[in-house]
Amino acid sequence: MGENVMLNEEIVLKRISDAYNFAKNVQEELNAMVTFVDYNDQLENMNMHKSGKMFGVPIVLKDNVNTKGIKTTASSKMLENYVPIYDATIVTKLKDAGAIIIGKSSMDELAMGGTNLTAATGSVKNPYDTNRMSGGSSGGSASLVGKGVVSMAIGSDTGDSIRKPAAFCGCVGLKPTYGRISRYGIIPYSSSLDHVGCFTSNVKDAAIALEVLAGRDDLDMTSSYEPVDNYSEFLSGDIKGKKIAILKNVTDNISNVDVLKCFNESIEKLKQQGAIVEEVILNEKLMLAILPTYYLIANCEATANHANLNGICYGNQVESQTSEQIMIKSRTNGFGPLIRKRFVIGSYGLFVENQEKLFKQAQKVRRLIVEEYDKVLKDFDFVCAPASASIAPLLDDKHLDQLSDEYLVAENHMIISNFTGYPSISVPMGFVDKMPVGINFTAHKFDEGNLLNLAYTHELCNDFKAMKAGN
Amino acid sequence: MAYKVVIGIEIHCELKTKTKMFSSAPLSFAQTPNSCVNEVDLAHPGTLPCVNKNAIKYAIMACSAFNLEIDTLVKFDRKNYFYTDLPKGYQITQQFHPIGRNGFIDINVDGNSKRINIERLHMEEDTAKQFHFNDETLIDYNRAGTPLVEIVSDPDMTSGVEAVAYISKIQEILLYLGVSDVKMEQGSMRCDINISLMKQDAEKLGTKVEIKNLNSLSNVLKAVEFEISRQSDMLDNAELIVQETRRFDETTKSTVSMRKKEGNVDYKYFPEPNIFPIRLPLDWVNEIVNNLPELPDARRVRYHDVYALEEYDANVLVSNKLLADFYELVMQDCDDGKICANWIISELIAQLSKTNQSIATMKCDSKNFANLINMITKKEISGKQAKQIFAQVVDGENCIELVKSSGMKQISDEGAILQIVIDVLNDNPQSIEDFKNGKDRAIGFLVGQVMKRSKGQANPSMANQLVSAQIKNY
Repeated sequence: MGENVMLNEEIVLKRISDAYNFAKNVQEELNAMVTFVDYNDQLENMNMHKSGKMFGVPIVLKDNVNTKGIKTTASSKMLENYVPIYDATIVTKLKDAGAIIIGKSSMDELAMGGTNLTAATGSVKNPYDTNRMSGGSSGGSASLVGKGVVSMAIGSDTGDSIRKPAAFCGCVGLKPTYGRISRYGIIPYSSSLDHVGCFTSNVKDAAIALEVLAGRDDLDMTSSYEPVDNYSEFLSGDIKGKKIAILKNVTDNISNVDVLKCFNESIEKLKQQGAIVEEVILNEKLMLAILPTYYLIANCEATANHANLNGICYGNQVESQTSEQIMIKSRTNGFGPLIRKRFVIGSYGLFVENQEKLFKQAQKVRRLIVEEYDKVLKDFDFVCAPASASIAPLLDDKHLDQLSDEYLVAENHMIISNFTGYPSISVPMGFVDKMPVGINFTAHKFDEGNLLNLAYTHELCNDFKAMKAGN
Repeated sequence: MAYKVVIGIEIHCELKTKTKMFSSAPLSFAQTPNSCVNEVDLAHPGTLPCVNKNAIKYAIMACSAFNLEIDTLVKFDRKNYFYTDLPKGYQITQQFHPIGRNGFIDINVDGNSKRINIERLHMEEDTAKQFHFNDETLIDYNRAGTPLVEIVSDPDMTSGVEAVAYISKIQEILLYLGVSDVKMEQGSMRCDINISLMKQDAEKLGTKVEIKNLNSLSNVLKAVEFEISRQSDMLDNAELIVQETRRFDETTKSTVSMRKKEGNVDYKYFPEPNIFPIRLPLDWVNEIVNNLPELPDARRVRYHDVYALEEYDANVLVSNKLLADFYELVMQDCDDGKICANWIISELIAQLSKTNQSIATMKCDSKNFANLINMITKKEISGKQAKQIFAQVVDGENCIELVKSSGMKQISDEGAILQIVIDVLNDNPQSIEDFKNGKDRAIGFLVGQVMKRSKGQANPSMANQLVSAQIKNY
């Protein structure tokens, strides 16, 4: 990306058709795409965007990104026939930068999940081992970038939904600051936690993508007026004197010694580059509360966010006698069991008799976690931890103990950045059992430039291609 | 038995901003169905709300006029319920932090002023409009997302007359502010009336009944009076009043039960996450508050002070803003406020209603009307003559031309009239004789002769005066 000066039209067209064909060829293997997009329309005016930062770059959008005239399903049966009448703001930005959309990628239904097993089109496979998960909810995008089909794919991240699958699929996953990228036109999950971000095969591309995607959008009142930096210029490879905090709660709860070994090696290399690294401990009680807090807030907001999918205006309509029956039947029929469960939980949390002890309590705990995190971050430039305690789970993994401390803390710490809204990135740090594992860095709000430089520096001293080859 | 009546009123008013509360789609009335909508109004997945700054401005204006405390931290909440007229499945409203609290207006009933407290005013968005037929329902989303303010009174009213006075006062103020059309018959203003009865010495409020579907002030009066008598009868017969929503049925002039309220619906209100709290700049708020258009009460006072109008005349004019605005335009070219007001109140209103016109549609401009009034006040034409050409003037014909072409210009030149008077006296010695014998009627006859000889153009009072003076010389 970003080398448009050298490109002629022929090369560009070949690159796009190669990516498209590659995606088609791996579809059976990965099941990562929901809709292949006929890109010929986009080629017509391509030369208008010749100076664009992503001129001629084939990309994939998560299927919750609205594309005018192109089916957008959010991997829900409910929306299997939904064709938006408008483009998401980022779609316009990407097209203006010259990017070519070749497909819409699979995701957990309505972005609610971390496995990508709940997509209406079936589970997405990990590009390194098709018996394993891609992770979710942006699994399709992660899998396609991990496989090398496209160099950039859009994802959304409500509770690590970019950063976790990025770690599982061996790619870079960036979730910038809340408000940095417009959410207008992204089918929501939880408005106060949803972030738009991207998967790339390297940090440089993430910087370029962010330059294209970021900026104030008057259609999204939560988008920020903060000026957009020239992120590529931050990539110096110099992190001397930068202070990095390691989340000891996370490392202490990881039992997989190989993951820890990879992590420690990464940290050693960063120290060699002049970073000052210290371990910090957050209040363990708060760490254990991350997941329940997240579930409550996300599900409460989600139950309202998806109330428009009632079979009247949107969603497959199941015919019935009364409008109320149409809504009930359409929703029962259109949503998968996990979604229905989450709507019930969300609704329960909002009932007037429960709201104080559930929804409002969750918001208080969210604030406490943010305050606790801020206390640590104020003395550091970055916070760092392994993105996951393990490699991508097997597709039929039934052994996951969702109440273990290892799961609650080590698998969910990245949700903190959804609570705080701070920029956070996962990058590959090595291989365990021939599967990629990732490291996660988080920075102060709107400090994407320095965050990307840290990730870039890490990339420079961890030759991922060599690791992959030697794997 | 006579019971104590307790009435509280909730008023929903559509604000007449250019665009909707949370989208850039245009506002509409009587447009082709579903033509004034965009993806936000239709709640397309992925859309986000954007607060209309003008709607906030209008709400601030209303708050200020209703003496409400303005909360400069604007917050919105979601009210969740499934209904076919609600595309998002929730309505964005201000449940927890209304923009205005604790205000009041003073109403006037039978010459007595009474203060009605206003609990709150909050902003929200309207729903779509539904048309129910036998086997289908059609939905027009044009109305969806129209900005509304909801104004909630304290239960301070005790009769239908007070309820009507309150609603019309609110209506008048909003109209003068220019923030709403306040047309009950078109639904841009909608009133829900809560009414309960209690024994005179009771301490606990009775069970309240809500009345909806009131599309005119006269229906408000009828509905409240019907409801008072219905509930009184029930209480007299020791029947239990149930908490319910009733609608006013125009054909039977009665209220009919719509639905019983079994416990309150849980709307699961929670703060709208897509709109961060908005801190309004204080100088912006102050600028709005300090530059309110003149309110009706102030205008009444001014009409008294500047145009020397009686309370009744001032009231008639001010309660019809278009009429009052026209009056003021006419008065830019007139001196006599009282006579001008008389002609507008008695003649103009009658003429317009006779020809099925309104101030807005009539062709006569204020200058032309002013010319007519000036000719009357300068005694260039008589009132009777003015009435003869009034219909044509209202129809837009130039009144000066009319007077000229019909030759009705009044003679007010004393010398000219005096000559006619002397001629008439000389020609009617019998009448002079009669006068000297005490028959006052003779004067009338003589004045009539003067008028006749002047072809009706002599100024009648001047003629009268001169005849009375001159006759003594004989």
